[in-house]
Amino acid sequence: MSLDTSLVIEGKSPAQLAWIRFRKDKVAIVALVFSLIIVILALLAPWVCALLNIDPYSLNKTTIDSVGLPNAPFGGMSRAHPLGVEPGTGRDILARLIYGTRVSLIVALIATFITTLIGVVLGIWAGYKRGIVDGIIGRTIDLLLAFPSLLLIISLAPVMQPRLVAMGFPEGNPARMTYIILILSLFGWTYIARIMRGQALSLREREFVAAAQASGAKTSYMIFKEILPNLWAPIIVYASLTVPGYIAIEATFSFLGLGVVAPTASWGGMLADSVRYFRSDPAYLFIPGTALFLLVLAFNLVGDGLRDALDPKGERAQKV
Amino acid sequence: MKLNSRTKFGVVVAASTLLLSACGGGGTSADGSGTPAKGGTITYLTIAEQFNHVDPQRNYTGQDLAFFGSYVNRTLTSYAHAEGTAGAEVVADMATDTGTATDGGKTWSFTLRDGLTWEDGSEVTCQDVAYGVSRVFATDIIVDGPTYAISYLDIPAGDEGSNYPGPYKATAEQQALYDNAVSCDGKTITFKLNKVVADFNYTVTLLAFAPVPKAKDTGEKYDDAVVSNGPYKIESYVKAQSMTLVRNENWNPDSDPVRHAYPDKVVVNFAQDQAVIDSRIIASSGEDAFLVSMDGIQPENLPTVFGDDQFKNRRVNETDPYALYAAINVKKLNCLPVRQALLVALDREAVRQVAGGEFAGDFADGFISPTIAADYAPNKVLDGVQPTGNPDAAKALLEQAKTACPDVYAKATGEGLVYDHPDTPTWAKNAAVWIESMKKAGIVLKPNPIEPGKYYSVVMDEALQGDISRGGWAADWLNSSTVLPELFGEGGFNISQNKKDPAYAAYKALMDDALAQTDRAAQAAIWKKANQYALDQVWAIPTFFGRSQEFRGGNIGGGYLWYPFGSHDYDALYVIQ
Repeated sequence: MSLDTSLVIEGKSPAQLAWIRFRKDKVAIVALVFSLIIVILALLAPWVCALLNIDPYSLNKTTIDSVGLPNAPFGGMSRAHPLGVEPGTGRDILARLIYGTRVSLIVALIATFITTLIGVVLGIWAGYKRGIVDGIIGRTIDLLLAFPSLLLIISLAPVMQPRLVAMGFPEGNPARMTYIILILSLFGWTYIARIMRGQALSLREREFVAAAQASGAKTSYMIFKEILPNLWAPIIVYASLTVPGYIAIEATFSFLGLGVVAPTASWGGMLADSVRYFRSDPAYLFIPGTALFLLVLAFNLVGDGLRDALDPKGERAQKV
Repeated sequence: MKLNSRTKFGVVVAASTLLLSACGGGGTSADGSGTPAKGGTITYLTIAEQFNHVDPQRNYTGQDLAFFGSYVNRTLTSYAHAEGTAGAEVVADMATDTGTATDGGKTWSFTLRDGLTWEDGSEVTCQDVAYGVSRVFATDIIVDGPTYAISYLDIPAGDEGSNYPGPYKATAEQQALYDNAVSCDGKTITFKLNKVVADFNYTVTLLAFAPVPKAKDTGEKYDDAVVSNGPYKIESYVKAQSMTLVRNENWNPDSDPVRHAYPDKVVVNFAQDQAVIDSRIIASSGEDAFLVSMDGIQPENLPTVFGDDQFKNRRVNETDPYALYAAINVKKLNCLPVRQALLVALDREAVRQVAGGEFAGDFADGFISPTIAADYAPNKVLDGVQPTGNPDAAKALLEQAKTACPDVYAKATGEGLVYDHPDTPTWAKNAAVWIESMKKAGIVLKPNPIEPGKYYSVVMDEALQGDISRGGWAADWLNSSTVLPELFGEGGFNISQNKKDPAYAAYKALMDDALAQTDRAAQAAIWKKANQYALDQVWAIPTFFGRSQEFRGGNIGGGYLWYPFGSHDYDALYVIQ
């Protein structure tokens, strides 16, 4: 008698289960593939551009006319310049988009990492410890949430950027990007900290926590070894939903002139420039706008898919 | 005079929602043609928060001089309100004629007309003119204005400048020094000069020579509310909002053969969005047909406005008196081959394309604009200079620099030179063009974006200025005495910091020589030489001789570029009835 192998029940880890659920979400898969392509393009920007024979900085003066507008229709789209050229200089828009992704992703990913780190540690600590620690962190969060952060960012930029340079950050783009990352981190950790605090509040009443406490575990051990491992799912979901938000915010800062300096490309900078050409070269406005929209949408859909996959209590997940 | 810090800079567009709301609206009936008539309201739109200065003695930007000279301030002489080169002609304004020179041009006298009045009805006296000019000497309060009165009037100067400190602080003794140089005899005012100034009657067209009633002078605060002796008076002036001018009932048209005073009311709306200004005037629907832009047309809208004949009576595109250049900080780059390399490497064609191509102007070969016909002569530009830049020639020059001045060479090719530019999308592109063309020659350039409103104050501060800073300058009148000494000599707009350059002594000798020269033709010959000299030393890189565009709504007529100022002739604009 042989075993009917089809009846063997395999043990699956929670991560495997989540991946199975995620795989069934077609929209999330498409979004994930799209996001990965963008990330790879950004990582390999110099090689991709070399392959396509485009360059984000060289001036293609023959592609623009005597008043600076692209010669070819639809913003100068041609085989040499698939997405057209920038009015005034003739720089390749596709190459600038690819290089601009680097700025957006660097800022968004680093800022997400820092905010998540600070938020998770402080949030769990506050929720686990309660009492005075919770009070101080809670009021700090209230204070930061009440700040008109965008106004502060704009008004502090001319003061803070030279400070960063004085502290040893290289002048120009490094200092400007650091400033944006610092400010985003300063204000951004509050949201995830609140979520983590709530989770920790409920976890600290569970038996395994009480057991660990009874064995005399230190606070740091409790936070990192007992509580944190139970919270990876919400952290991953939150972080994946934060990235697109920061991409959009970085574009906003560039749009307002706080972003990287010339000639480095950034999406917000391209948007700010292209808005002015909405009458004479509408294709130019369309391209960075669409690109930003697609990237933010894709990251959001990946985040949504992750949430559905990692949260078995969620409505859609129950069908699996 | 200074180039308006807005017009050619292009400014960040931040209000896209506003922009969309301005797109609606129907067509327009009026197309900008008509016959001049009195009445109506003209509304000007500007992105500026306020006028640079309203105080006549502090007013020194071309556009503001044209605006206040047309509407509010009358001077002894002024420029004719006429199109083309006719506008460069000096005509008698408050004076009965264009002045009488005696003593070979060292003494000038002007006689005031009858019936000149202030807005309160009191008479404009010779003493008011003398008092107004004396304010220029109070250099602690009356800042930013032209200082020709100080350099020309026959008042002894000490080490610290003039011995006369202006009317606010002067002792009786010091005041006597001034009263000796500027004296009144009834209606006749006499200026005693310390040298021959053959065209002093051009100098007095500047509003710095406008009268001010002593009793109404509020010092620094006079910059917010001035007493008018022109056809309009200031009804209200709220910075970042608006200024309203209404007819000055006490202005006597019989005493003013110069001005037309067409509209009943003039409104200036500040802090507008440039994209919105262009959109509203392009649409020109309803009330927007009565709008006039004070900031020209943005480069991106030029093809729209000049590509469509429906705008043909509403647009202006003329050569203006500005010479545009990039000043090189000679104190930091005290190395001629490196400066020459910068000049040779620059892709000026690309620089021009960013600025609007054929609308930006013609390539410049020096610092004297061809609009000063007497002084302009084509310069011999360094060998190897090509419109699109010549990286190979630049590299050869850098080779020379390597041995001649290793420090500057190391900075230019390693750490990088700082390029100052206003922080706007258009100027970011300009910086990109500079960086790209220098890169081809092996020169490293670092962009230094500066908040647009603070641009001039930053680059004029030696401590904050970078290595290369762009600028624009136009003659105060058609004599290069108002250009070359200002840019590279003892004047107030020297951002080239070249006075320590060993080559400066020869230049200064040329300046002194030219300023002392009484024969205009001989003087012009020296200016031509000095222009060439400054170019040979590459104290600045000339880019192009400016062109200006102006734009107005369909119900406004009479627009043309006023030759001396490179802006609309505000007096000539009228509401089509």
